[in-house]
Amino acid sequence: MRAVKIKKENLFDFLEAIKPFGDLWGPVKSGDGYVLEKVTDYSNIEMSALRTRIPFKKLLFPPKFTMFKFDEKGIRSSDEELPRQVIFGLHPCDLHALLIMDNFHSLHYVDPYYRERRERTAVIGLSCFPDDRCFCKATNTHYTEKGFDLFLTDLGDFYILWIGSSLGDDMVRECPELVDEEVTHDDLEKYIAWRKKRESNFKLKLDFTGMPSIMELSYDSPLWDELGEKCLSCGACTIVCPTCPCFNVIDEVDIGGGTGERTRRWDSCMFREYSMVAGGHNFREARSERLKLRFTHKLQAFVGAFGEAACVGCGRCIGACPVDIDIQTVAQNLKGEEVKA
Amino acid sequence: MSQEKKSVGLYGFTGCNGDQLVIIHSEDQLLPFFDSANIKSFSLAKSDNDNSELDLAFVEGSISSQEQAEHVKAIRERTRYLVAIGNCACYGGIQAMELGAKGWDQRFRKVYGDGFFINRTPIESKPIDVFVNVDFYLPGCPIDARQFFYCFAHFLQDDEPVFPDYPVCAECRWRENDCLLLKGELCLGPLTAAGCGARCPSHNLTCLGCWGPMKEANIGAEFNLLKEKDYSLEEIKRRFRMHTGSGMMKPLKKLLGAL
Amino acid sequence: MKAETQLQNPYEPEPMRLIRRYPLNEDVHFFQVRAVDMEKALSLNYLPGQFMMISINGIGEAPFSISSTPSRPGLLEFGIRKVGNMTNRIFQLKENGIFGVRGPYGNGFPIEKIKGNDLVIIMGGLGAVPLRSLLLYALDNRDQFGKIYLLHGARTPDEMLFRNEFFNMMKRDDLFCHLTVDQDDTGQWPFETGVVTRLFGKLAHIDPKNTYFAVCGPPVMYKFVVAEILKLNVPKHQILMTLERRMKCGVGKCGHCIIGGYIYTCLEGPVFSYWDVLHMKGLI
Repeated sequence: MRAVKIKKENLFDFLEAIKPFGDLWGPVKSGDGYVLEKVTDYSNIEMSALRTRIPFKKLLFPPKFTMFKFDEKGIRSSDEELPRQVIFGLHPCDLHALLIMDNFHSLHYVDPYYRERRERTAVIGLSCFPDDRCFCKATNTHYTEKGFDLFLTDLGDFYILWIGSSLGDDMVRECPELVDEEVTHDDLEKYIAWRKKRESNFKLKLDFTGMPSIMELSYDSPLWDELGEKCLSCGACTIVCPTCPCFNVIDEVDIGGGTGERTRRWDSCMFREYSMVAGGHNFREARSERLKLRFTHKLQAFVGAFGEAACVGCGRCIGACPVDIDIQTVAQNLKGEEVKA
Repeated sequence: MSQEKKSVGLYGFTGCNGDQLVIIHSEDQLLPFFDSANIKSFSLAKSDNDNSELDLAFVEGSISSQEQAEHVKAIRERTRYLVAIGNCACYGGIQAMELGAKGWDQRFRKVYGDGFFINRTPIESKPIDVFVNVDFYLPGCPIDARQFFYCFAHFLQDDEPVFPDYPVCAECRWRENDCLLLKGELCLGPLTAAGCGARCPSHNLTCLGCWGPMKEANIGAEFNLLKEKDYSLEEIKRRFRMHTGSGMMKPLKKLLGAL
Repeated sequence: MKAETQLQNPYEPEPMRLIRRYPLNEDVHFFQVRAVDMEKALSLNYLPGQFMMISINGIGEAPFSISSTPSRPGLLEFGIRKVGNMTNRIFQLKENGIFGVRGPYGNGFPIEKIKGNDLVIIMGGLGAVPLRSLLLYALDNRDQFGKIYLLHGARTPDEMLFRNEFFNMMKRDDLFCHLTVDQDDTGQWPFETGVVTRLFGKLAHIDPKNTYFAVCGPPVMYKFVVAEILKLNVPKHQILMTLERRMKCGVGKCGHCIIGGYIYTCLEGPVFSYWDVLHMKGLI
């Protein structure tokens, strides 16, 4: 990693200069929230947006895409070249999620569809200030030194521009005149003061210490049945989660049946058919079983398998669920704490 | 696969014919549609219709007269598969809003007076499965063209079409809309089978439930949630029965009975 | 194929030809298939207990246990029960029909650990399909295993799979073969009647520390069979079972086969030990 500086007034010129690296996607306002959208007018980018409704994952594994087409002769892979893209404005929580997704999609078998898109993607991270739903400090994902090509830390009238990869370095070399290579002691002090201020601003205090053991002991807790009664199985929690990659595979056929395509679509472990096998047997018929799976996966099992929780504390599920079943309420419930929904 | 073309019929009973219109409106699919099967009957689209044996019948509309009831039974007799298309055929539609509530005779007389009907003996409007066995339900108001042709293509191959069981909410989230329910509005998204692509909520309008309930609709949880948001029982009932006369009211009544 | 050597798209199935098929019982058929590309057909290697994803364009894919043994290379065999769209279509396939297959996937039986030990194979109903692979493998490499037992249970004589094959095995002197049916309405059944646990009496002198058990059958069978095996003081990690789950990818991505939060059946199963069952919740 290498650090330079860039003045705030130079940011748009910088984004213009790195156009050859791909379409720029950034957070823009939509209704009461934000969504990641392709941006051409840089002033539409919401620099203070904390979380987009759906995270970056839609750009690396879209909600629906064609895997291959088929006809009577067999299958044909797509020869369409995907566009290059630059994702702007990912905060440390999402960058941690991106690292988890990178790892997941190359573990055991490389997923070619993910890799294809990932290889065409540059990532520019952006510092943030927590709101009352952020709990990345509890998941220890509030800083990151990895997962980005460039990262901007907002220090008032300028950004520290962290260069995290050779691709990031290439981007900076497009416009050396816009950056200031000299980082001073004064800048360091500003940075440290900013960190202190940021850390003291986390309002949502969650404690995940020992969570795997608590989950283990809670396997038969009546809580799961209570939550199962309330759950609408709408899948909102999984759709907004940056570390939920599950998918379904559905063939679409043209009338006549001979030609069509195999498509991949987001699926959710909250949906009834998720664990149903041919013949109708369902390994997770009850909603309570599905909720247990989801939270065990996020808070316990992933820790056992990868040494870290699959939850990055982005806070999207808090506020996404109409009936307030989220990481916060579940963790507080299991730990016998007062639950604030 | 070289098989003989299947015989298919499309029929409309009480309703707006909107579902058949959706099919006719799919210009890009019409040639393969007529090409891939022997369309024996489709009165909205062609005039030489007959009553021959069928592999597959699509039935739109609810049943609101004795004669329609006899007709739908006759269709059932001569078809291998019968698919209910559209909300009226599947759940009775808006005209079955008061289905099961007492006083149909009075309501009917209030509108039509004591006059008599030629060739027609009116009855309370009901979904077709009250009269015949239905092999597959393709809901919607109107149906979605993609879902229809997917379903059609599958039946031509003797496969049962599979529609994933998730609610409108999922489609709505995929479109990154503001959640209207979270804003306190009376939205039936969590209960309603997906398929429309969350059309209404994408225009900031609440879901009216016109696809009918998904298999796992958690009526109780939605009901409690709406009560918490201070909606009265009357308001909730009105919304529940608006589009899916029998579809959502039956489970709601069961729930209210249990309360 | 692991990540480092993976060259092609793991989701694109390989064209295979249906060589022959015949019914095993009323709703289970035997399918013998071979990669169209002869070189690929001969180089395809797998372990007993692994599975393949069979693909039918327009319908999708589903996992099927391999029933043949890698000790007889070239042909792949499956025993498939007709239960839905996917299998209906497979049943429509005729000899010489081409369809897609990819794999093998899953862990398979720990053959290297089993070698040198006695082996008891307990199969019920459709469980005969995956365990036939292990059985044939052990018989083809007979000198590498100790005593081999086959305990087979079917509901009725008519429902029994691989009837002739297993009947012939009764005559072998290098295998203790015991067949039972729950009930015999034909009056012609020449072997035992009663549930498969009744056959445990035939295992009088096994040496529990040096015996592996492989079990596959309907869910209800596991409980009773495992209870009987535990009575013999067999270590839990030597009791192996192969399990079924919904799968959409076979390569640890789609999530449907996940158990206990992070165990992907397609990667770490479908063969699990009884110890796994005890500490991974929700396995059976």
